[in-house]
Amino acid sequence: MEASKEGIGFVSTTTTLAEVLTVAVQACNHSVMVQPPPGSASADPGAAEVLYGLEQLLELAGEQLGEEISSRTVRLYATEGLIDRPGKDGRRAVYGRRHLLQLLLIRSLARRGLSLSAIAPHVASSDQELEQQLQQLDDSSVAPAATGTPTTNDALDYLQGLQSPAASDAQRDASASLLPLLGSPLSSRSPSLRAARMASRSSASSSRWHRFSLAPGVELHLSESASIPPPGTRREAWLRRLIDRLREQLDQTN
Amino acid sequence: MQPSLHVRSLRPAVAADSATTLDLLISIAAPAMPPELDSRPRLPLNLALVIDRSGSMSGEKLSYARKAARFLAGALTARDRLAIVTFDDEVEVLVPSQPVQDPKLFIRAINTIHSGGTTALFDGWLAGAMQVANHLDPAALNRVLLLSDGGANEGLVDSAEIAAKVAGLSQRGISTSAFGLGAGFDEDLMGAVAGAGDGTLAFIESPTQLEKLYTDELDGLAQTLGKKVSLGIRAKRDVQLLDVINDCELTAAGNWQLPNLRYGQEMTVAARFQLPAWQPNREIVSLRLAWQQPGRPERFAFVEHITLPVMAVADLAGMDPDPVVIEQFELLLANRERSLAIEELDRGNLRAARAHLEAIDQRLSLLPQTDAIQRERLLLEEKKALLDQDRNLSRKRLRRESLRSSMSVWEQPTDSTDSEGLS
Repeated sequence: MEASKEGIGFVSTTTTLAEVLTVAVQACNHSVMVQPPPGSASADPGAAEVLYGLEQLLELAGEQLGEEISSRTVRLYATEGLIDRPGKDGRRAVYGRRHLLQLLLIRSLARRGLSLSAIAPHVASSDQELEQQLQQLDDSSVAPAATGTPTTNDALDYLQGLQSPAASDAQRDASASLLPLLGSPLSSRSPSLRAARMASRSSASSSRWHRFSLAPGVELHLSESASIPPPGTRREAWLRRLIDRLREQLDQTN
Repeated sequence: MQPSLHVRSLRPAVAADSATTLDLLISIAAPAMPPELDSRPRLPLNLALVIDRSGSMSGEKLSYARKAARFLAGALTARDRLAIVTFDDEVEVLVPSQPVQDPKLFIRAINTIHSGGTTALFDGWLAGAMQVANHLDPAALNRVLLLSDGGANEGLVDSAEIAAKVAGLSQRGISTSAFGLGAGFDEDLMGAVAGAGDGTLAFIESPTQLEKLYTDELDGLAQTLGKKVSLGIRAKRDVQLLDVINDCELTAAGNWQLPNLRYGQEMTVAARFQLPAWQPNREIVSLRLAWQQPGRPERFAFVEHITLPVMAVADLAGMDPDPVVIEQFELLLANRERSLAIEELDRGNLRAARAHLEAIDQRLSLLPQTDAIQRERLLLEEKKALLDQDRNLSRKRLRRESLRSSMSVWEQPTDSTDSEGLS
């Protein structure tokens, strides 16, 4: 069966990744997420960055977006890896310009109805690209999907009549069901376990993240939408880049 | 601009002193696209692309599906709407319907599509249909494009039930095209969906053809003169309609449902009647062609009344039959009789299936060997050879060819031996 072939391929792929990262993280012996360091992507190294507390970040983003944003939302996005981890100022979490850009872009895209897994690749770009994307979204003056007036029409009524309760679940906000999925190990993609996993899987989940405990106090979060290069030189290069980023981040935290 | 309807009969008259079996060839021709329309921007499109991401799509198929989806997003404009929906055992609205202001937004989302579980084809279609319905625009062409490489095996799986629901939606202004990819899809289901959906049916053997398919689909949509085309055949008193060789679905009003009519395209319907001895100037049958023009709310229709000269049966028998009528009847019969071969295949009776194909070829061999007949015989020859080599592929191709009489079937560009059944 083709499906099972793929399942096996997927597992071996990620095992390799996990193994390599485990080695890297254990060598550093430090608790950290695999995330690009805040502001690293294109920040001018000479400029002193303005840092905000969480309250300030929420206020700034809220003003620009015209909607109130809760700290819980930001934490969810951070947990999902959509927003970089905050920096630290003593015990206080501090946010920079990149966090603000990410937050603005996530909300702008989410208001257009994109699921978090679809948003993820947008917010991984450099600061400059983040700005460009925001600019384009402003220019394209599309009515947000949420506020678009649903025209009552025959076709829509008809389809609503066809929907099963399970199907209407899928229309729910995808983010609502994300958290319980954390912790499902990646190896559950193996064909033998797949049926069991399907049974426990919420039909509304649209973005799945897998959490590995690599070492005591060290975790790796991997989105299903993360594209992992095929085995060979491309993967090796990709892994090296990850290790470099990790090293950078560790140096900064130290 | 409206289509025209022409009728040719096997012989140019009916008998005055005897019963007649009357073979009528009904051609429905759309005029060429008028230049003023060609230069005008096409009607806006309101599309949902529904992509199967079940486990079997992994690898090359999904990679090409993504590539073709990116291409589709790039080919649309800010006047068009597009939604991207993916499904395996669950459905994800990856990008809700919105104008294609920035293809990049779609492209990034498309790049996140990865393969997963089983095939909840109906739920996927439903989610895509909801996206189109949310923004149903009578001034646009509203269509769901359903791409799958499997049979429905999750949720609603019965093809007749799925087709009935798809038909209900096409009655309400949203059509559905069904694209089957690879060797594993359910050709009967996809055929039923495209037929019920008033859309295009495509069987794609190689995923590299997807981009061409989407190009043709967009072109086809732009060139649509009539959708929900139907032909009413009303036999007058004492006349009996024996058979319509095209196996079209019937509409609620008892008319034959024809595929979308594109500018410059012609389609052919073959009907056989039985008449008693006939009087001159007496109407035999009336034909009513009805269609909806994209972007217009009203339905257009016209009626043709058919009368034929009347003569003695002895004189009639001496007149040469029209070779075009014979040829078209035989070609449409050849499409129909492929279904018999498929039935035998399904029973596991390879020999009987082959016998059906040989019987068709035998009849075609008696006709003048025009290009169309030769093409058709090559197709049959190829299917006969495939029966042994690859029964699955043979069945898929036979199904596709059998459906050419009744719906828009996409022609694979590499399949140069193929003929356009409806033209």
